[in-house]
Amino acid sequence: MAAWLEKLLVYCYARIPAALRPAFRSVFFWGQIRAEALVSRRRVRYGQRVSFLDFEIAHLEPFEYLSPRPNEVEIKTHCSTVSPGTERAVLCGLPGARKTFPYFPGYSCAGEIVATGSRVKGFKLGDRIAGRVRHLSGESVGTDFIFHIPEGVSYESASLIELGIITLQGLRKARIQPGDVVAVLGQGLIGQLAGRLARAGGASRVIAIAPTRNRARAALAPGGATEFVAMRESAFSPSSIAADVVIEAVGTPDAIATATLCARPGGRVVLLGSSRGLSRNVNLAALLQHRDIELVGAHISDMPATEASPGRHTYRQEGELFLDMLRTGRLSVTDLVTWRAAPDECNAVYETLAKGGREHVAMVLEWQRSVTNGK
Amino acid sequence: MKPLQIGIVGAGGIAQRNAREAVASGAARIVGVFDVNHRAAREMAKALQSRFIPSYEELLADLEVEAVLLSTPHHLHRPMAIEAASRGKHVLVEKPVANNLDEARQMWDACQRAGVQMTVNYSFRYLPRIQKAKQLVDAGALGDIVGIQIINHQFKDAGYWSGARSNSPDDWRASREKCGGGFLIMNVCHVIDYLYYVTGLKAARVYSEYATLGSPAEVEDIISVSCRMNNGAIGSISASSIMRGTDQAEERIWGTNGSMILTSDGLSVYSTRAVDGRRPGKIHDLKKFPEVSWTAEWVKAFAHSVRTSGPPEISYADAWENLAFIQTAYQSMECQRPLDVPAFEARQ
Repeated sequence: MAAWLEKLLVYCYARIPAALRPAFRSVFFWGQIRAEALVSRRRVRYGQRVSFLDFEIAHLEPFEYLSPRPNEVEIKTHCSTVSPGTERAVLCGLPGARKTFPYFPGYSCAGEIVATGSRVKGFKLGDRIAGRVRHLSGESVGTDFIFHIPEGVSYESASLIELGIITLQGLRKARIQPGDVVAVLGQGLIGQLAGRLARAGGASRVIAIAPTRNRARAALAPGGATEFVAMRESAFSPSSIAADVVIEAVGTPDAIATATLCARPGGRVVLLGSSRGLSRNVNLAALLQHRDIELVGAHISDMPATEASPGRHTYRQEGELFLDMLRTGRLSVTDLVTWRAAPDECNAVYETLAKGGREHVAMVLEWQRSVTNGK
Repeated sequence: MKPLQIGIVGAGGIAQRNAREAVASGAARIVGVFDVNHRAAREMAKALQSRFIPSYEELLADLEVEAVLLSTPHHLHRPMAIEAASRGKHVLVEKPVANNLDEARQMWDACQRAGVQMTVNYSFRYLPRIQKAKQLVDAGALGDIVGIQIINHQFKDAGYWSGARSNSPDDWRASREKCGGGFLIMNVCHVIDYLYYVTGLKAARVYSEYATLGSPAEVEDIISVSCRMNNGAIGSISASSIMRGTDQAEERIWGTNGSMILTSDGLSVYSTRAVDGRRPGKIHDLKKFPEVSWTAEWVKAFAHSVRTSGPPEISYADAWENLAFIQTAYQSMECQRPLDVPAFEARQ
């Protein structure tokens, strides 16, 4: 939309009485999508999606989208996995995650293709796919961020794909060597995946560290961590961990300091959690410099789009690897799913998440349960 | 189901309303009407197409009478209820159950001994908006309740206190001995009852300040109460019968997940949860409720409990807890410190 037209609309909108604005918005968007459908010769589709209406309020609501463009596919979602860190941060307004509401969360889902654009290559009707899609029953998306789900991998497991990619790119930057002692600080979903991928990557010992033993069973499952340390339940001394590599998967500045203390002198700390907030009076000399600690930033936004290099794979490479590990059984995530919710339970799911969600690891929305797909 | 045969005791304004609604409930038949004011009782009996009974003794001796509906001054509740029970009559009594907990206990004991049932007219809880509020609270719309506020102000003129505006003039409402208290025990007790009912909470500790600042009465006409509920929530009451020119009646309940405002028009609710199929994060005004006679519902429910020998929906425990709150609130100012509200179970 042209900037002048947008300004004019905002000017007019501001002069509408507040009570009439919701109705005006509905009419405007109703007309806008139909005008776009007419111009681009596409059809209006009806779906449902999760919407954050305000802080700590999630709601399942109907929405409209258009059938795919020539380079898009339309997907019908089967499962979408809640990203506990990012989505909770937005839901609760944590530092650095401020968004305007309504906000439509989600970026890790699995489903099937129900329509394809005329210029799409490599994907066809009925293909099972997983990728970066929001929490919704269906949508038209480009093919850059979707992957074929291999035979034998369930929609549910595949729906963890984006979280798997996030973890894999971090583990790759950790440069774990066979025989390394790896500590994973934080046992949320990313921490649990990191423990399992570290084992698969050759670590001899994987020490899972969390405040309590709430998630110990999942962490110590076959293929996962070899030890579990509950910081609040024992005389926890970070220096006793002495790990070669520490994966920080909490997402707070204080956790970075703790992770650093868990590393042996000369060790490496990978910042996998999306740290939010500020920390003051950090003695970097004592934490890092005097102990020769290497601090590695590992956010998914830092991944190369196309050009891979040693230690830096592309988004597509990591996604395909994650799905292949699921296919071959080198990685299992089924037991990490602690809440399989119907979409209309999203309000309760996110209420639990807003309170910390400590009793859960992965929460999956199952879109084929009581979803009417709109009208 | 055979209608409950009721003897009406008292012919004041509320008594007339209670009797009319009892008939309208379809679950009761008025056998006779008694009041010390014979003229008022005769007129009322005529209007109800019932018969005038000249004394309470004769009413209780009437074999047709299965239950008495006592709409009399508070201090008469105890002796009249005990006498009725001793004659094998079930008891419907106006609120409050009595002027203090000892009197209430004596009434209950008499009913227990005689094997008859007793209920107290806290019938506002049958109002559709109150039922809706309870349904929303039970469904978790508010989450864990953290605050309750009652605002209730009106103006009661000199005629109210002298009884001049009543068809059966009597100044008992101005007497502490006869009435047990003022605006709190006389009017706000209804609100306390239905908020107990809606929230399922009871007050655990209470402190009040009250005074008589603008009425020809011994009892309070303004009161402020602070209390802590048994779940830790904090409550407050601001009430008076000396606010001229405006009526205020509003209750607010709020919790970890929402808030609710109850007014005489209806209720508004805000919740972070999609309760009752309503969009969360939005204030919903619920105003269209069916017209229901709360008194008729009360009589109907009691008649059913008598016929089925089940416990009354509005029980002695409900009335006792209501009175325990009120009595403790009054006592707290007298001794100038917060007091624990006795729990029903502990005293029985």
